[in-house]
Amino acid sequence: MPPGDGQPDSLTWQPVPGAPGAALYPLIRKIDAISSNSYILSTPDVIILIDPGGLPEQAEHLVRVIGTCRAENDRPLFVFLTHAHTDHFVGIQADPAFAHSDTAVFAVQQGGACALESGDTTVTLSDLMQAPFFPMKVGLHLFSQERPDLCSEDMSFPNGARITITRDQTGPAGLPCERIEFGQGPALVIYYTPGHSPDSICLQIGELLFTGDLLFAASPGIAGLTGWSQETLIHSLGAVETLIAKGGIRLVYSGHGRVIPAADALRMLSAVRADARGLANIAEMEPNRAARTAAFAGDCMEQVNELFTIMSGRLQYVSFILDELGESGIADQSSTLIRGDMIDELLEAFHNFAEEQRHGQDIPIHLVLKAGQVIAKLERTFNRAELTTIIDPSLVRRAGRLLSDYTTMLRGFTPPSECSDCDLIPLIEAVVTGLSVPPFSDEEVLSSADDDTAFSRILLARIGTPPLLADVEATVLAEGDSLHACIDREHFTDLLTYILEDLVGTGADKVEIRTRQTGRNAVVTVAGNVLSPATLHERRTWRFLRGLAERAGGTLAVHEHDGIQRFEFTAIAV
Amino acid sequence: MDIKAANRNGNTILSVNGRIDTLTAPELEQAINMEIGRENKKILLDFSGVSYISSGGLRVLLATAKKLKNPGDKFGICSLQPDVLKVFRLAGFTSIFSIYQSEGEALATW
Repeated sequence: MPPGDGQPDSLTWQPVPGAPGAALYPLIRKIDAISSNSYILSTPDVIILIDPGGLPEQAEHLVRVIGTCRAENDRPLFVFLTHAHTDHFVGIQADPAFAHSDTAVFAVQQGGACALESGDTTVTLSDLMQAPFFPMKVGLHLFSQERPDLCSEDMSFPNGARITITRDQTGPAGLPCERIEFGQGPALVIYYTPGHSPDSICLQIGELLFTGDLLFAASPGIAGLTGWSQETLIHSLGAVETLIAKGGIRLVYSGHGRVIPAADALRMLSAVRADARGLANIAEMEPNRAARTAAFAGDCMEQVNELFTIMSGRLQYVSFILDELGESGIADQSSTLIRGDMIDELLEAFHNFAEEQRHGQDIPIHLVLKAGQVIAKLERTFNRAELTTIIDPSLVRRAGRLLSDYTTMLRGFTPPSECSDCDLIPLIEAVVTGLSVPPFSDEEVLSSADDDTAFSRILLARIGTPPLLADVEATVLAEGDSLHACIDREHFTDLLTYILEDLVGTGADKVEIRTRQTGRNAVVTVAGNVLSPATLHERRTWRFLRGLAERAGGTLAVHEHDGIQRFEFTAIAV
Repeated sequence: MDIKAANRNGNTILSVNGRIDTLTAPELEQAINMEIGRENKKILLDFSGVSYISSGGLRVLLATAKKLKNPGDKFGICSLQPDVLKVFRLAGFTSIFSIYQSEGEALATW
């Protein structure tokens, strides 16, 4: 089982500050979409399990620990869910004796409780996560509309538990809350904090606050899940921030990831709230969108992999050449700009994850979120501004655009595509010229000879940015003086660059670009001789390029015949 | 990853099969170093079975190029798949060591 990640306070009993007689057993996992953290609370009156998680082996471990607890001092057992998403509870269903008997009383906010009882596969994300579950009985509906405000209600349950529950619709920080007393020992306070889902709650015992997925609710791929609400989320985040700021809470236990000191939680809540404010009108992350995003993730990561390997290789090349020239000081400068080892590890982790998915359950949302995680880390590892002083800025720019296009899509927005009237001929000529000349002219190299700093900068760029088309016979054959089409200039520029790179990279030494108008269409054909024999399988690059062509405002067809590879881009002529 | 070594007329051919990534790049480095340690300094890597190379793999190849630069030494790579060839060319590696279309083409020039 994968319970802990080496955190010192996972899987050990520890006292609960501010709640005499209570102890906590946290099970803290590395962050993923498969299973949440779990927490067992033990007081003299009751055993409380918060979020059994999504894995049967995790639930099995928890049941064992609870069994030991009850053997020492038999007490009623409650299972609270911070919300009814499958990664927080479905693991427990592998133990039918536990999940479907009256041994434990399940306690869930009313909306989530109804979803669990009716077997709703949408609200619980069962469809999206492809995690089926059996409808289950929820003994305690939290925030039930039938419960009157500010009146204490005594309740008893088949497992012998007796509680007193008191509703306060305008509790601390304006959060609706319910205080549950299980006996003479410490009470549990439940706060209603919707936003991530309509049934999200936070729980407080002593100075500990359990926040479920509140801190992840504005993260790419998580924001926009079915039931997510920007407005209620912003309110809940603000109210929990106020609650913590008032004092009395020392540690925050999240539904995923590590334990957070209150001061850090305040900063995080504020940052999440700022993120949430920018998420108006995002698309819902339902199974169809997850499948589309997963397909984009696969193609995008393949291309990201290639671009980062090329950039890293280019820096190694620069370093090698400078070493050969006896300029090892300058060589050291260039080799540190990309953490190749870290990037390799990240890309490999994604590759392995994708392979496991392909051969296993193949759940799109898992791939989508994993790609999001890797891309966020990649964003932090490379220094775009400095890289562009050495290697081809187009490589760096395209890598950056890929990362941001994916993040944009993951966040529920459409990657920007601004199609407008554009004359293709001067644009194509500008791209070809840009790829044919070095970043600094020979004169500039000579004139920098007296200035060490300028010389090393120019030397690095000259070595690091060899013009792609320098040794290639490239011709542009245009029909007429102009050809106007409705395209997105930036994406078209990227597309043309990728195509030229693909042809030259795979061996072409002659490239021809033709433009023509056919009926209402503007057509750009890029053709090159290829060394390798016809490829039997469609290369993933081509699938990526077709997607890019769509974002550029057109369509792309790829043909290979008699050693000539031909890419044909078609857009609407203006 | 799988590496098979063969000797043809004093030239060592290392046929590599699989992905060259963080995990397998050290295996490739070890295989190359073993040959260099045996004074086999005409090394041709047959990459017809290599579908992917990471930056860690590229680093191994550059390190080899540094080791095999004395007169009489030879180092080259043949039969690259299009996606791997593309990474080599765009990273600038084709100007550091020789790339051949086939083993026959390489050995004919050595």
